[in-house]
Amino acid sequence: MRQYLPRAVAKEVRGGKALFLLAVAGVALGVASVLSIQLLDASALGAFSGTVKAVSGDADLSVLPWAGALDEALLDEVLAVPGVAAAAPVFRADVAVDGRPGVTLELAGVDLVSPRKGPRLLDAGVLEAALGTPGWVAVSSAWAAEQGWRAGDRIGVSLGSRRATLVIGAIVELERVAPLASRRLAIMDLAQAQGLLGGRGRLHEIAVRATPGVSPDALAERLAARLGGRGRVATAAQRTVEAEGLLGAFRLNLTALSLVSLLVGGFLVYASVRASVARRREELGVLRAVGATRAQVVGLVLGEAAVLGALGTAAGIPLGWLAARANVAAVSGTVRNLYLLEGIEGIALTPGLALLGVVTGIGGAVAGALWPAVDAGRTDPRALLASISLEERVGAGAARLLAAGLAVLAASAAIAAATARRWAPAGFVLAVGVLVAVPLAAPAALRVLTRLPRPRRLGVREGARRLGTRLSAAAPAAGALAVAVAMLVGVTVMVGSFRTTVVRWLDATLRSDVYVSTPSWRRARSEATLGPEVIAALRALPGATVAVMRQHAGFGAGRRILVSGVDAALPAAGRRVALVGGGDGAAAMAALRRGAVLVSEPLARKAGLDAGSTLALRARDGEVTLPIAGVYRDYGTEGGAVLLDVATYARLYGPGLPSNASVDLPRGADPEAAVRALRAALPGAPLLIRSNRTLRGEVLAIFEQTFAITRLLEAMGLLIAAAGVTLALLVLARERRGELALYRALGATRGQLFRVFLGRGLAVGAAGLVLGAAGGWGLALILVKAVNPAFFGWTLEVAVPWATLAGEAAAILAAAAAASLYPAVAASATPAQELSRDAL
Amino acid sequence: MPPVLAFRDVARSYRTAGGELPVLRGISGEVPAGRAVAITGRSGSGKSTLLHLAAGIDAPDSGEVLLLGRSLGRLSDRDRTLARREGIGLVFQFFHLLPHLTAEENVLVPALVAGDPPGPARARARSLLARVGLGGRGGDPVQKLSGGEMQRVALCRALLRRPTLLLADEPTGNLDEASGQVVMELLLEVAREEGSALVYVTHSRELAAAADEVWTLHAGRLEAARSGGAAPVAG
Ligand SMILES: Nc1ncnc2c1ncn2[C@@H]1O[C@H](COP(=O)(O)OP(=O)(O)OP(=O)(O)O)[C@@H](O)[C@H]1O
Ligand SMILES: [Mg+2]
Repeated sequence: MRQYLPRAVAKEVRGGKALFLLAVAGVALGVASVLSIQLLDASALGAFSGTVKAVSGDADLSVLPWAGALDEALLDEVLAVPGVAAAAPVFRADVAVDGRPGVTLELAGVDLVSPRKGPRLLDAGVLEAALGTPGWVAVSSAWAAEQGWRAGDRIGVSLGSRRATLVIGAIVELERVAPLASRRLAIMDLAQAQGLLGGRGRLHEIAVRATPGVSPDALAERLAARLGGRGRVATAAQRTVEAEGLLGAFRLNLTALSLVSLLVGGFLVYASVRASVARRREELGVLRAVGATRAQVVGLVLGEAAVLGALGTAAGIPLGWLAARANVAAVSGTVRNLYLLEGIEGIALTPGLALLGVVTGIGGAVAGALWPAVDAGRTDPRALLASISLEERVGAGAARLLAAGLAVLAASAAIAAATARRWAPAGFVLAVGVLVAVPLAAPAALRVLTRLPRPRRLGVREGARRLGTRLSAAAPAAGALAVAVAMLVGVTVMVGSFRTTVVRWLDATLRSDVYVSTPSWRRARSEATLGPEVIAALRALPGATVAVMRQHAGFGAGRRILVSGVDAALPAAGRRVALVGGGDGAAAMAALRRGAVLVSEPLARKAGLDAGSTLALRARDGEVTLPIAGVYRDYGTEGGAVLLDVATYARLYGPGLPSNASVDLPRGADPEAAVRALRAALPGAPLLIRSNRTLRGEVLAIFEQTFAITRLLEAMGLLIAAAGVTLALLVLARERRGELALYRALGATRGQLFRVFLGRGLAVGAAGLVLGAAGGWGLALILVKAVNPAFFGWTLEVAVPWATLAGEAAAILAAAAAASLYPAVAASATPAQELSRDAL
Repeated sequence: MPPVLAFRDVARSYRTAGGELPVLRGISGEVPAGRAVAITGRSGSGKSTLLHLAAGIDAPDSGEVLLLGRSLGRLSDRDRTLARREGIGLVFQFFHLLPHLTAEENVLVPALVAGDPPGPARARARSLLARVGLGGRGGDPVQKLSGGEMQRVALCRALLRRPTLLLADEPTGNLDEASGQVVMELLLEVAREEGSALVYVTHSRELAAAADEVWTLHAGRLEAARSGGAAPVAG
């Protein structure tokens, strides 16, 4: 029998090229979507830990700021702790490169003189130049090549509204020493970096090496005791875990989506193996009749599926790599801008990920083939001896599957309801229940089609009607399509709701006319400040009210949050926040002025906070406890945020400059004119001056970027599903060659057979659409009402983007019709002479 | 030596829309080694059902079917399959050859399934094909063959592994009279040469007459044999 397998596979390929290729394509797309997400995911974390490693070397521990920056004086204290062999100070700032929007350098100012363990970034020879040349910086060769920089070039950069000129002193092969580190990483002398960028006396990290024999854990404890609340101590591994935690919800979402693609791909394999089994019922029956055991037949079918899976994997791995590459920019942008982590600079296919691809591909194919294989083992050789073929038992099976689907749905709903309060993924359990129930309902949905009234002529309607009696081929395709449609509808409604919610939130809180910040602000936050001359220019606008904000990434309620100080005394301050539960903004601002805080909804939900409770906030010199005046809506910072009055902020974090500002103009003034006036008043200043309308557009653009990868995954899922429709119809065309030949012999035209198949395609499309829409509606509610609050912490309102959905529905039906074209043409070409061959 | 095939008071009924349909009501009979038995009867009288029971692909409601003295009902599905593989060759009305394979490859399928050494199997296939007059056609795809030629290929496939029992359900039912005659003669001759017992179903009196025995099914029972030796035992 082992000798039979290669022949059987070869025969399959020859006999059903299109079928086989479609199934391979399905596996390939499934593998590609899983792999691309895992590649991006691994690379996102790799970029973070790679950069940590490149900057801190092989440090055992790092001392990091609780709030913005560390006092340089801490360095001596760290060195004084017994067990510290070396301590390397680091000043970090993400500076914007002049004239190149979006181009940044992640500057790391390090002590170039003291010896350093770990990857050597700079050659010994350049040291003198590095210390002696003002603005000397070493950049990665990859980034230099991309920007067209050569050694000796002078580049203008800005941090906040402060400008500096850097000199490209060395171009280092960073990717050789630290392959995953950010390409944007640039190394310069510590003192120079601090001096040029206005950070004198400030550090962002002290990398600590323990004396040999001293356990890093014990040292961490001693350091923490010594520093009190002035710095936090973490190992590199802890920092990576923190980064993982920050990205957790984002990654989970993507992984869930990519698994749906795999599920749909698995359906495709199921459908094609099932088809091949149905088409070869006779062959398998003969094998059984001449004495092949059940195990042999099952092995044969599974073996074929494994070959199919292997081919699909071979195509899927490069495809996944390409898909990941194509999406690096979007995902990297999200990771950099929303999560403030290192962007992804390159993706690396590790052996582990390749193995994952192989396991998903071959495993998915074999899993998809399992049921058809077992079924094939039961092929009844009696059918061969009988002069007429045994009819399929369809009705009972459809009802049983529907019942099973409903049972799964009920069970998952019960689990979700029981665990929703204590367990965040409860919503996902229900979502999985929906995704399982939807395809199980497909046979029953197709059975409904048999109730269509019998038409007078053979054509589209008869094609759709008869589909209900040929479930084994059509139902898996309709089921796979329904899953893809459910996902599409669910995510479309979720994104639409999210978008509408964000737009309403922006309407409520984005009240000023002009907003001012700097190109480096998004990532550098507290280091990217607006100089006094900028504030003065804003105040000089006639009739303007200027509100400033100070901001840093800090810690509160035991987690990493964004801390902002706003001017609560301004008359309109209360209108800039939207309180959960519709509380009074003015009263909340009054409470802020008395030293209270407002916490964002995600923070309140994740840390279990509420108005009336208190927040433990890390200040410059230790932890303080502040009363919470209320909870405000926020869709910008998933990790959580708090608002303080600027006075409180200054008390807790010391004096400092604001990082952004907004201007309210007198009634009737033209914001665009004010923007032009400001640009004229501050010529050449590295500022982002935007009218309300422009800023709103940019916020929404970032929003769209976040969902770009989602759309790619949706597209892949639909593509796989469309392939499934083509496959199912091809199977029907092939299986029913005898029947088609009979129709032709009885005088059916080619056009009629073509229409029959078009009808079948449309029927599969319609069944998939209706079921998918129902499932998608459920998914949308789950995503909006359960998953978003549980994972991201924010409340969304349900808003249905009808126009988008209508467009998608039309596209799906068109895709189903398009998917049926080739099978329809193939079927209509069946000559009547085939009739005799049916007796083979 | 036990008979190749024996039925002991075999009964089989089907559940139909109109209620229980007793098809076989107590069949007893034996097929000794090397003998040819023709089964006749009206359409729907249970001929195919009886053959299914003999091949072990259907099971009686009561009674026993014995292949070389072994009760098929007592075997597991796997052992029943192996018994069929080793002891029985099947010929179908609709040939059921595998398209895309050549005639010789079709004949070799049972050897592939059983994992027989390919050399001897190939030699045997060639000699069988030559025996049925298809010596030169082994390399042809089966689609190119005529109906009678296809059935001869199917006959070779059934005989490849020297079964002690050959079962054929209307082997000529799908052929014209002349080629049906040729196939039937070959079936009887080759079975005799190979020493296989043969049980075949036919509607034709003439073809039935060529057997050593004729069993006629009527109202679920066997009627007395009209020719040959050992008469079926009345059930
Ligand atoms: N799976 C089944 N379910 C219900 N009834 C069956 C089944 N198989 C056979 N029958 C019935 O049993 C009776 C005997 O069938 P069988 O096929 O054995 O007849 P036959 O003698 O071979 O007929 P023919 O000469 O037409 O081939 C028929 O009435 C048939 O309708
Ligand atoms: Mg019959």
